[in-house]
Amino acid sequence: MNNNTLLKKSYPYLWLLPSIVLMGIFVVFPIIIVFKLAFSEISKAGIAGGFVGLQNFRDAIALPAFKTVMLNTLWWVLSVVILSTVIGFIIAMVLNQKFHGRKIARAIVVFPWATSLVIQASVWNYIIKYEYGNLNNVLLNLGIIKEAVNWRMSYQVEFIWECGVGIFVTIPFVCFCVLSGLQSIDGSLYEAADIDGAGFWSKLFNITIPLVKPSLTVSTVLNIIYVFNSFPIVYTMTKGAPVHKTDTLITYLYMLSFHERQKGPATALSVIGFLILCLCAGIYMVSVLRKEDN
Amino acid sequence: MKKFMALLLALVMVFALSTVAFADDTYTLDVIIAQYGPNTQEWFLGKGMDGSNFVEKFEAANPGIKLNLEVISWNDLKTVADTRIASGQAPDILNLDTFADYANEGLLMPVSEYCPEDLFADFFPSFIDQSVIDGVCYAVPDLASARALFYNTAMFEEVGIEVPTTWAELEDASQAIIDFYNGEVYPWGVDMTTDEGQACFAYYAWGNNGGFVDENGEWAVNSAANVEAVNFITGMVADGFTNPNPATQTRYDLQDMFAAGKLAMIIAPNQLPTYVADKGGEVELATADIPANEGCTSSSVGVMDRIMVFKDEAEADQEARNAAVAAFLKFFYDPENYVGWVSMEGFLPAVDSAVGALVESDPSFEAWLGVLNNAKFYSTAKDGWDTVKQGVIAAEQAVLNGADAQAELDALQATLVK
Repeated sequence: MNNNTLLKKSYPYLWLLPSIVLMGIFVVFPIIIVFKLAFSEISKAGIAGGFVGLQNFRDAIALPAFKTVMLNTLWWVLSVVILSTVIGFIIAMVLNQKFHGRKIARAIVVFPWATSLVIQASVWNYIIKYEYGNLNNVLLNLGIIKEAVNWRMSYQVEFIWECGVGIFVTIPFVCFCVLSGLQSIDGSLYEAADIDGAGFWSKLFNITIPLVKPSLTVSTVLNIIYVFNSFPIVYTMTKGAPVHKTDTLITYLYMLSFHERQKGPATALSVIGFLILCLCAGIYMVSVLRKEDN
Repeated sequence: MKKFMALLLALVMVFALSTVAFADDTYTLDVIIAQYGPNTQEWFLGKGMDGSNFVEKFEAANPGIKLNLEVISWNDLKTVADTRIASGQAPDILNLDTFADYANEGLLMPVSEYCPEDLFADFFPSFIDQSVIDGVCYAVPDLASARALFYNTAMFEEVGIEVPTTWAELEDASQAIIDFYNGEVYPWGVDMTTDEGQACFAYYAWGNNGGFVDENGEWAVNSAANVEAVNFITGMVADGFTNPNPATQTRYDLQDMFAAGKLAMIIAPNQLPTYVADKGGEVELATADIPANEGCTSSSVGVMDRIMVFKDEAEADQEARNAAVAAFLKFFYDPENYVGWVSMEGFLPAVDSAVGALVESDPSFEAWLGVLNNAKFYSTAKDGWDTVKQGVIAAEQAVLNGADAQAELDALQATLVK
């Protein structure tokens, strides 16, 4: 093999090298450190000590809020990912139709995506505020309600609001993933289906969904990761109050580490979260890819 | 030729580096300051100190010392401090409220090693006492504030009620306000959020002769007095005498309600009148003692933040470092600078030398200093304070949601005496 051939063969690896180095420094290395810390004794100030085996994991699981937080995380991910996917899909179908003002409608859908999550969560906090909230003001002025409603009357309702805001901010991402898939579908397929007498539902299940599936797969996997790791909405709206009843795993481990200074269990929780995420995303990807191969 | 050029280049580089090394005879202090308000950044780093700032003025007055000073929001301060410490990048000087965990881990320098004696003598002794562990002082106070009851005088006149001094009177006054305004005004403000839920616990526990510790200084969060206190305030919430969502409505939300005339009474720091004025509120307000339970003594809550110095074992010249820290403290607490700093954010001073000038500029300071002298402070010098602080907040929030106060506080106490 001469030098020229060797150089040509190594080109792809050379181009990949900067990404691999960056990922190594900013992704792989921190993961290794977190795993190491999860098995180490950690002081309140965060200084790592000796190896303690699974003690941090035992402490984390024994925490009173552990079960609540894990259940909340499950509901949070399921509700936000499923509902934002369904609603985003429907909106994408509408935006794929030809109508006047379609570009403006698409721009409006993008707005929530283009705004920071902290700002959105803060705005929603003002909207649902009991005392001067915009929602109460609008409903009172329209005469729909006679007196202001406490939209945050219990922690269950507060958690539903958090999920609602999560869905609201996730819809644009799903919508545009699906829209890109819809635009790549050849119009002649629908024409042929029309000639064969296929109805709306038949076209939806036999043409649209199968062909949009790759886009949906990407958006779902990314959404699972983003939503699971999402911090700003929950932290801005409730900070997990009361007593971690509205926390998800990510906000809880932050509170545990920096407010309660239990850094050992917090590190163990972050490892647990990482493993859950790897498992979920892995199972989903493998099953979808296997079906596509078949 | 190439060899000659390489040699020349190497020589130039060595010369350049040695020049830097010889020229760099200044000492740089890493300082992290808490952001108390919008003026803090301007005062330390902007143009808020007579068109200049603290860093520029300090460096001009102390030519051998440079300041690498950061102003960090309270929301992020502990996160930043802990992250820096964990990664071996602890600042030289840190401004924070709590210090005991750092001191107990041997990370802090005793104050006696760097603070000039005349300056140390200038601090109010009751403040210094709050930073002493096993006879060693590990931090100095940078400022303080005191809490008292503020009430809307116009509302009280309209309803025709007196300022409550006991819990029973508070319940009666609250009922009268609810009846008069038909529920449009909240009588009493409660903040049980993770921001200040520990203050809420203190107001009622201390007002019932309870508290975080017993007479021997041991944790006693589950005392009968504390249980009664938590039941009283959560009962006020359940009776509809307070803002509806105490677990998520912070003191700032309550202050906004008070400024808007939506809340009749609030326990707040001495800066409340300035806050109300800044918000454009036109409420007429007055202060009074925080109501206590029948037969118990009312006490104000003093809140104090600190300046602490971290050890730096790697520093070869410890004397130079201590001298630089001393220069920083002397410059900061110099009445010419310190009075401006304290009054700018509306806090109370921690040193005696600032009192005269402050009272001259605002006579109301004198009354507040009196309140502060009789105030109780959190047990921040005691190991486990962070657990207690979060624990009492969690207990209050749990009781709000129907849990039993005794069981919640017992569980917290059990974690403290393990």
